[in-house]
Amino acid sequence: MESLRKFHPQTLRLIALALVLVLTVVFFTSQIDNYFSPRMLNRITSSVAVILPIAIGQAIVVMTRNIDLSVGSLVGIVAYVMGGFIGQHQGINPAVFVVLCMLLGAFCGAINGVLVSYGRVPSIIVTLGTLALFRTYLVEYSEARTITTDSLPKWLVDLPSASVVEFGGFDIRVIVGLAVLAALVAWLALTRLRAARQFYAVGSNPDAAVFASINEARVVLIAFMISGAMAGLAGFIFLAKFGNITVVAGLGFELKSVAAVVVGGVNIFGGSGSIVGVVLGTVLVDVIDNSLIRWAVVSEFWREALLGLLIMLAVTADTLMTRSFGRLRGSQN
Amino acid sequence: MPAPILELRNISKSFAMTAALSDVTFDVVPGEIHAIVGENGAGKSTLIKIMTGVYQPDGGEILWEGMPVSIRHTQAAQALGIAAIFQEPMVFPDLDVAENIFISHRDRGTFMDWGKLYADADALIKQLGVALDAHRPASGLTLAEQQTVEIARALSLKVKVLIMDEPTASLSAHEVERLLSIARTLKAQGVSVLYISHRLDEIFRVADRVTVLRDGKHISTKPIAAVTHEALVKDMVGRAIDTFAVKTKANPHGDTVLSVKGLVRQGVFSDVSFDLHAGEVLCFAGLVGSRRTDVGLALFGVEPATGGEISVAGKAVRIISPQQAMEQGIAYVSEDRRKLGLAMTLPIFSNISLPSLARFLKAFGWIDRTAERKVAESYRERLSIRSPNTETHVGKLSGGNQQKVMLAKWLETKPRILIFDEPTRGIDVGAKAEVHNIMRALAKEGVAIIAISSDLPEVLALADRVLVMREGRQMGIFDIADCTQESVMALATGQQELAKAS
Amino acid sequence: MLKRTIVKLGLASALATTLFAGAASAEGVNMVLLPKFLGILPFDQANRGAEEAHKELGNTGTLQYIGPTPENSVAGQIEMLTTATTQKQAVVMLSNNAGDQIAAAAEAAQAAGTKVVTWDSPIPSGKGESVFVAQVDFGSIGVVMSDMALSLAGGAGEVAVLSATPDAANQNAWIEAMKKTLAEDAKYKDVKLVDVVYGDDQSEKSYNAALALVDKYPNLKVIMAPTTVGIAAAAKAMQDEKLCDKVKVSGLGLPAEMVSYTLNGCAPEFALWSFVDLGYLTYQVSYALATGAIKGDIGDKVKAGRMGEFTIEADPGRAGSKRVLMGPFTVYNKDNVEAASK
Repeated sequence: MESLRKFHPQTLRLIALALVLVLTVVFFTSQIDNYFSPRMLNRITSSVAVILPIAIGQAIVVMTRNIDLSVGSLVGIVAYVMGGFIGQHQGINPAVFVVLCMLLGAFCGAINGVLVSYGRVPSIIVTLGTLALFRTYLVEYSEARTITTDSLPKWLVDLPSASVVEFGGFDIRVIVGLAVLAALVAWLALTRLRAARQFYAVGSNPDAAVFASINEARVVLIAFMISGAMAGLAGFIFLAKFGNITVVAGLGFELKSVAAVVVGGVNIFGGSGSIVGVVLGTVLVDVIDNSLIRWAVVSEFWREALLGLLIMLAVTADTLMTRSFGRLRGSQN
Repeated sequence: MPAPILELRNISKSFAMTAALSDVTFDVVPGEIHAIVGENGAGKSTLIKIMTGVYQPDGGEILWEGMPVSIRHTQAAQALGIAAIFQEPMVFPDLDVAENIFISHRDRGTFMDWGKLYADADALIKQLGVALDAHRPASGLTLAEQQTVEIARALSLKVKVLIMDEPTASLSAHEVERLLSIARTLKAQGVSVLYISHRLDEIFRVADRVTVLRDGKHISTKPIAAVTHEALVKDMVGRAIDTFAVKTKANPHGDTVLSVKGLVRQGVFSDVSFDLHAGEVLCFAGLVGSRRTDVGLALFGVEPATGGEISVAGKAVRIISPQQAMEQGIAYVSEDRRKLGLAMTLPIFSNISLPSLARFLKAFGWIDRTAERKVAESYRERLSIRSPNTETHVGKLSGGNQQKVMLAKWLETKPRILIFDEPTRGIDVGAKAEVHNIMRALAKEGVAIIAISSDLPEVLALADRVLVMREGRQMGIFDIADCTQESVMALATGQQELAKAS
Repeated sequence: MLKRTIVKLGLASALATTLFAGAASAEGVNMVLLPKFLGILPFDQANRGAEEAHKELGNTGTLQYIGPTPENSVAGQIEMLTTATTQKQAVVMLSNNAGDQIAAAAEAAQAAGTKVVTWDSPIPSGKGESVFVAQVDFGSIGVVMSDMALSLAGGAGEVAVLSATPDAANQNAWIEAMKKTLAEDAKYKDVKLVDVVYGDDQSEKSYNAALALVDKYPNLKVIMAPTTVGIAAAAKAMQDEKLCDKVKVSGLGLPAEMVSYTLNGCAPEFALWSFVDLGYLTYQVSYALATGAIKGDIGDKVKAGRMGEFTIEADPGRAGSKRVLMGPFTVYNKDNVEAASK
């Protein structure tokens, strides 16, 4: 244990997580034919691309001691509304379109944020409400029409098959690049940007934040807006990837994102967590999900249960580790 | 005397119908340590909140360097150069020391310069004359270290007036020394320190002037040299009191009710042995971190012992849960009222009946509310808990009264053995004397009492015998007649070893 | 749409309690069309058919189209069925998404005089259900899917099924029917059904499951998805991974959603029945039941306007249950898909 003390507990968590990921891959490589291959890498990365932006936004919200359960409905709204929009405005510049998607998401996120930070309503209540509210709005707005693939511009439909780099069977898609870019920006901001450290401060000790003259309400609002914008980006990727958008788009993403964040070592009680962890957590959850559907041993019914089990294990491990580190450090003094 | 940096003139503040402060006037000059004393409820907290911009006064004015100012929020106080540190330090457990120090700074650029951050933090810590690794996460720091971080933070913001609210209430003797020396260092650097404490001996050691508040009113502000201990206490409580209860010495010790042999909790404490008799007060003395509380928790089954023997009234027992301890007639009045002891959002009577609820049941398991209230009311009178009635929520009571509710709650379990952990921590002089009297009275009734205290004068006033601990080891048990403050301290600090090291 | 529904609901309950204390009345029959959830095309089309029949029959009662939102489908359906019962609606036409969990509510409805007619998806046990209006014979779905698989595989090869959820009664019945057809008729002897996987009617799960099939079976020729979400997601997955030349997607899909995949060859052929007709027929049967024109026994005949006459028969898939069989299919390909997608 002596040598372990040199590491920050968070660093230790990341190492443990990476180790679990490697072990998972090794395990499935032994179980599934042609598993460890560039093709599988492509499958996993493309699949992660949809959920990763949401997980990043969720992580920032969780860091501030809140939770955003409305992200799934937000993905649905952005994918549907913006899908309808681009059907009418085929000529719009792709970059502008992405920004518009994120702005729409940020706007919806601001609704959550204002209610939580200025309305003083617990975030779990607010976002549980907007989860249903956004979805209901979508049902109303859609009038049961489907956004169909043939109404979208060709570049958008073809985007999921477009590559950033391609060599020797390795193939990193543009949508993956977008998600990784989002992660990179978030990582840089959280580690390098002075203002971004306030997310940690507010979640770590809200009372102390007041005394450190941090505007807690504004920080929380911004966190929800970022979460919304990230859901907007995910909505864009969702639209490109699946083409046909109905009112069920993004259903259940809130749980998936919370799972990724928790497995990624973001403390559910706020204050700590890293983007590297979130990326690892998202990838791990996805690897398990995508491997189980290729693994004949586990039946359909057990897949969900296994994922749930994994989340519980992650949270338990987190609590136990935090506690034992507290002891270790306590006895040091 | 130099011109004051901060002046409060005729400050008043009321909440609903109660006046928390009325017409309070005093000043702070640069580079002084100015103590503020008063019983709980005297208005000290309100005063601090007004100076730090948390509350706005209803009347009166605040002058900063001679100019009238209004301190609208904490940022405004910070901008002037007023900062406060509290008994429970306000740190961010997930951030490291350096980040904690500089979290409020807006002038250090958009991007983090981690190298400069740690260098600047090290420089500030050095300025305070202490050793602390700027890379450590705050979650692993001791209370004293967290306070150091807060002081460094204030210093980094060019603090001119630093308010310290009960800074030593939870510190060990060694840490208290360090804090006092930091206060002197700050003073030497021209910072004014407003020092609020119940511990009058500290005040006499560091303060230049002392202001007394009572019932929201300003009573006096005097140079420390012009007051005596007795005069100060008299000003605080408004009457002369004996600082400590007159000890009804030599309770005829009854039978051995608790016998502990070679008690061990792996990695925490080892080889603790003693006998406890009916009607006796046994004090556990030692520094913070000497594991006295852990022995108490082991006896109560919260963190059970891993070895050794416990017998109650001559019968060997096994205690691995509070349930089992309570069955043996052991009760535990804990140090941390908020975390371990009381349900703050429940009324007094519910708190009192909680551990002995089984005795308040009617048919079909309904709770007999009438009996509950009757019993609670009797304790309210007996322990003079100051509240309109027993419906008052415990969270609204002062620290001393919370302590009494806690005591009532455990007395209602009719214990044979009562463990008190820091019975008077953070409560004021008047209440302290009351609690001591109650403890003596209980002992007289034949209850065996273990009192864990880091307040040496209290130990000497209260105990029949003293068990001294140091770093998880029992250093010895002494009859009170053989104890002096110095002898206990020498054992508790391990002076011989210190001498060797230096 | 929701607002409209709520207004209607209030009106209907007022009417029901003041004027029509009994269920069926000569003056009007109050009816509720309850889809799995609101907001997707097939159910809206069914509503269009029901409204057509409502006008045609000159029913002076109300026809409400109400349903839960997607995230609340199961609980919402049970709640809405119970509400309709307390409002003394004459008939609830239900596309069941709650499995047998809804049976208790349906039995309570019947006991209170509210008939429960299922369509699209029945109550698996048949408990509390008056009759099921089946879109097509489940056996014939097996034949159609087998035929499409045979032609898309070019006479021989591996086929896999991408279904919705493992406990969707209609899906499972169709898959069983397909397996039976493949096993019994010699002309399918070279078509091999290798796997059945599930996409939970969610785009991303179906998409990933389709790709997992391709990875697992390198010689796979056809993915057969008897679900509108699954077929579209699978077709997009093949298109994104440029696999359309190797693996064809087929199954049950909506022309509007499938048109681009049919034209680009990723899903050259798929089938579906008309949801408008299904809504129309369901309404006709329900109205006849509520007015007492039929009793709902096996052998009863229903005149269903423009669609002709139908007979109530025993449901071969669910012992002890009754059905009205609509049929037939339309098979869509590049020749007719564009016209149907408008």
